[in-house]
Amino acid sequence: MFDSTFDAVVPLLCVILAALAAMGAEAFRARGERMPIGGLGIVGLAGAGVSSVLLWNRNAASFGVILADNFGLFVTLVLVVVGVLTIMFSSQVVRRDALPAGEYYALVLFAIAGMIMMATANDLLVIFLALEILSVAVYVLTGIRRDDQRATEAAFKYFLLGAFSSAFFLYGIAFTYGVAGSTRLDRVGAYLAAQSMSDSPLILMALALLLVGFAFKISAVPFHMWTPDAYEGAPAIVTGFMSTGVKAAAFAAFARVFLSAFEPFSADWAPIVWIIAALTMILGTVVGVAQSNLKRMLAYSSIAHGGYLLVGLVAANEVGKAAILFYLLAYAVTNLAAFGVIALLGSRDRGNDELRDYAGLWHTRPALAALMTVCLLSLGGLPPTVGFIGKWYIFSAAVSAGYYGLAIIGVLTSVVSVFFYLRVVVMMYMAEREVAAAMPPRVTGVSMAALAFAIFVIVYLGVMPTQVLDLASASIATIF
Amino acid sequence: MDGWLGVVIMIVLGVGFAGVMIGLSILLGPRNPTPEKLAPYECGMPAVGDARERHSVKFYLVAMIFLLFDIEIAFLYPWAVALRDLGWAGFMQVVTFFLILSVGYIYVWRKGVLDWGPVARAVRRQVRDKAA
Amino acid sequence: MPLLTLSWLLPLAGAIGLLLVGNADGRRNGAIRWLTLAVSLATLAVTAAVWAGFDPAVAEFQFVERVPWIPAFGIDYSLGVDGISLLLVVLTAFLTPIALLSSWGSIERKVKEFSIFMLALEAAMIGVFVALDLFLFYVFWDAMLVPMYFLIGIWGYDRRIYAAIKFMLYTMAGSVLMLVAILGLAYLHSAATGRYSFDLLALSTLDIAPQTEMWFFLAFTVAFAIKVPLFPFHTWLPDAHVEAPTAGSVILAGVLLKMGTYGLLRFSFPLFPEAAASFAPWLALLAVVGIIYGALVAMVQPDMKKLVAYSSVSHLGFVVLGICAMNAQGVQGAIYLMLAHGVSTGGLFLMVGMLSDRRHTRLIGEYGGLKAVVPRLSAAFLIITLASIGLPMLNGFPGEFLIMLGAFRWDPRFVVAAGLGVILSAVYMLWMVQRVYYGEVRHGENATLPDLHPREWASVLPICAMAVVMGVFPTLFLRPMEASVEALVQQMQATQTLRAMDNPHPPAPRTPTPGNWTAMRPVTRILYSLSRPHSGPSRAERGQKRWLPAKGSGGYQGAVPLGWLIGIGN
Repeated sequence: MFDSTFDAVVPLLCVILAALAAMGAEAFRARGERMPIGGLGIVGLAGAGVSSVLLWNRNAASFGVILADNFGLFVTLVLVVVGVLTIMFSSQVVRRDALPAGEYYALVLFAIAGMIMMATANDLLVIFLALEILSVAVYVLTGIRRDDQRATEAAFKYFLLGAFSSAFFLYGIAFTYGVAGSTRLDRVGAYLAAQSMSDSPLILMALALLLVGFAFKISAVPFHMWTPDAYEGAPAIVTGFMSTGVKAAAFAAFARVFLSAFEPFSADWAPIVWIIAALTMILGTVVGVAQSNLKRMLAYSSIAHGGYLLVGLVAANEVGKAAILFYLLAYAVTNLAAFGVIALLGSRDRGNDELRDYAGLWHTRPALAALMTVCLLSLGGLPPTVGFIGKWYIFSAAVSAGYYGLAIIGVLTSVVSVFFYLRVVVMMYMAEREVAAAMPPRVTGVSMAALAFAIFVIVYLGVMPTQVLDLASASIATIF
Repeated sequence: MDGWLGVVIMIVLGVGFAGVMIGLSILLGPRNPTPEKLAPYECGMPAVGDARERHSVKFYLVAMIFLLFDIEIAFLYPWAVALRDLGWAGFMQVVTFFLILSVGYIYVWRKGVLDWGPVARAVRRQVRDKAA
Repeated sequence: MPLLTLSWLLPLAGAIGLLLVGNADGRRNGAIRWLTLAVSLATLAVTAAVWAGFDPAVAEFQFVERVPWIPAFGIDYSLGVDGISLLLVVLTAFLTPIALLSSWGSIERKVKEFSIFMLALEAAMIGVFVALDLFLFYVFWDAMLVPMYFLIGIWGYDRRIYAAIKFMLYTMAGSVLMLVAILGLAYLHSAATGRYSFDLLALSTLDIAPQTEMWFFLAFTVAFAIKVPLFPFHTWLPDAHVEAPTAGSVILAGVLLKMGTYGLLRFSFPLFPEAAASFAPWLALLAVVGIIYGALVAMVQPDMKKLVAYSSVSHLGFVVLGICAMNAQGVQGAIYLMLAHGVSTGGLFLMVGMLSDRRHTRLIGEYGGLKAVVPRLSAAFLIITLASIGLPMLNGFPGEFLIMLGAFRWDPRFVVAAGLGVILSAVYMLWMVQRVYYGEVRHGENATLPDLHPREWASVLPICAMAVVMGVFPTLFLRPMEASVEALVQQMQATQTLRAMDNPHPPAPRTPTPGNWTAMRPVTRILYSLSRPHSGPSRAERGQKRWLPAKGSGGYQGAVPLGWLIGIGN
């Protein structure tokens, strides 16, 4: 049907078609009519997943700017998982909070389309375009509860700072183009490799600006200011979505730009990223300790996890690159499941996301408490969960690249982070339930299935990570 | 530097002319201010209320829809010019682009963004409810 | 039949099976208790089978199972036991049913979850002792924290949450540094041979630069020292022991602490022999400080559980001292004392728990004159107390004796200090017994306390029996470990000599001379000679032995220049 130039965008097209279908369905939906719009989205995502699997090892490229190499496809698959889980969790939330269903799912799908595009883009401008597609969708999702002041504020803040960072990014692209005469990553890389001896200030400028742009998106210190507010204000499930999906996509692009195109200049950027990584890990965990709101706490924790991912980037060896991919998967599934639990426990007028709302959850919803515990232990990096394997992988990359300092900072901050994850566990298991507290709402089958799937992945990959580890190491071979 | 001299002279002349004109009218013009004359409108209705009112969100919607279709045109023109060179692949791409936009168009249409005024919206709502 | 896999998988399977049992209203508590007990007894049977099939003449690992797990990183699922770990596995399986029995009276709430955590804990503990792959070891090591955390945090006493978090964070803080060192080792292995490996045997042949070796040794040792706990790292222990429920305390004192000393013996010392040699005097110093400090603090405790907890600090100091001596006597004594301490301190916590179940207080001052009220409990308590003090014919004696012997051959000064600890332990333990069991009944409630009932008998009796058996027939337990310990000590010294030869300019001759220990090889003979003088070595034989290292040849003479600044080492 399509000629081969379209191969690489098939996953992207699947998601976009699903998003368009969601919009179309919403357009023809009568007031109050229920439509399985979420199901549409899952079908589209499944299409994206299947086509990614079919594209595996084929290095398809479309228009010279979209490159469906294994690296991009691995991230695409992660994003598909993120999307499916988000939609499954959302089904209950959308109904409960009376969110505009069609718009909600369409935005989620468009955001995923942008993410997939970002992960497979091979051109700085396309990365920028993808960044904007996903950002705009996520801005709107953040503020989709229009009656909620905090959500509106969060959306506004996120939008302003996001636009600000986009400008940095764009400026960086301009400098890169000015130096290299192209925005295609392969050409930029070839040019820079030839220039690697010269320390042109323009190249450094481009490097710095792109770094700032990416650092904003992955909320690395000191560009993390927007994260806690945006994460706290957005509906819990949207927070889960953006803390995993956006981060995965941004990291994929970050890794692609810095580890392929700007690789010749790694001596220039590696020390800076080293510092950023260390600061991100430290600040994320230390400030996280002081939080009493679960969403805010997890926001800081996700900042810290960005720091761990940066460690893999600094290490920049084969282990490090594969570790980034594996960690993205581990983090995405775990964090999304944790936010899923938070979302499921909320009610329409109350988020129930304060720490004390979790007191005695064990007695009222033992299954949810147990699942949340598994997620938190995985975030804390305790075996036998995927979080442990991920951290182990990241730190082994750091050690094998000789960055013992980063590894030590990393492991120590993860101990500190265990402290605040445990606070939640303490609340759920060891604190008595407040008498006046309302029973947490029931959980629907779909959401429970999503949780069960996530927990299965967390434990299975914690015990048997081999296949996925091999897959991750096979994924980096193609581009770096 | 030589090539730019003309430009500099032009700028100086332009700014100078405007400045001289304004300056002269300030200096030479007769002035006799009264409260009526100082009011925002010298004739017609006296001003009521604050000028900074909230506009209906409709205005923004219109502006945005205009932008969308304007951009569509902006893309279609160069494609039309290069139609033969781009061939079927280019055609497919533009069709994809066009389809995406038309879904958006259908969406805003069905959502009633194109219905101006309360009556049309009420009618549309009735139609929709009947369909349900 | 993969007995070792079975030994840790069985309790885990039991835990997972229990997850599926519905027990919301607590109606099935009884069935769950019996089921859990049955699983733990089955585990005991499996480990007993391992012991029965264990060949004491072989120094290498036995029952080895090796399956590739994460091949990309050379991680194997590899298990095995040798003389060092065998009895610790058995100890774990022995104490778990006892701890479970003890919980029958005191744990009424959430019995199912309690049983799940106990079984999961047992699985992880056994895993720690049988893992031969460092990665696998670390997984078990960290996984063990979670059930223990919940056991303390949910079923503990008043300050349980504080204690649970402190326990978890302390242990993790140490262990993550070990993780970095493990990764470093694996990386060095890949740098040397081209492939990653986490295999203990492969890594122990690695040639590491002295500076790196020192850091790795420190990272490992801090992790284990926290677990032991060695003197400045011990502050989590009193909290955790005191706040944990009785079953938790029994396991904590009986098994968890041994994981630290086991780690020192299995990983820190053999992997980094040179660094170990230079740090041994320091570790021994800390151990001796711990011995005395623990004893002194125990003496002034008003709370029985806290007293027993601090006595653990003191006893584990002995174990570390024995390991630091790094000769056959010291190491065998250390392992023996680990086992003995597991049995007797486990027993002490058990019986303190019984008292506190009856009276709901653990304060010594609340008791007095119980001998007349609960004579059977008093008798059992006295036996275990004497065992803990190290009375001959009870289990504490052989271990302490061997440690002293080993340490004496290494550096007599430590022994002097440690001997003081022995005396102090008699003081605080007997004083507690006196205040609790002798004298007049001062509190009315105490006059009507019930004595041991059958279920309690079932948990006390095996402990007392074991204390006596271990005291009277120490060879039964020493023989399986002999060959492995011998090999370990030889390997340590050989590596040190070898590396000293490799290195043309050694910083200092840090090799303690062999010779002393070769003459002493059959340690058990000494014990025989004590219990049965006629079959012991002849006077002439004994005359040949050099009990004291000759000047300039023994001890870690070249240890570290710092070492002799303050006068230890030589």
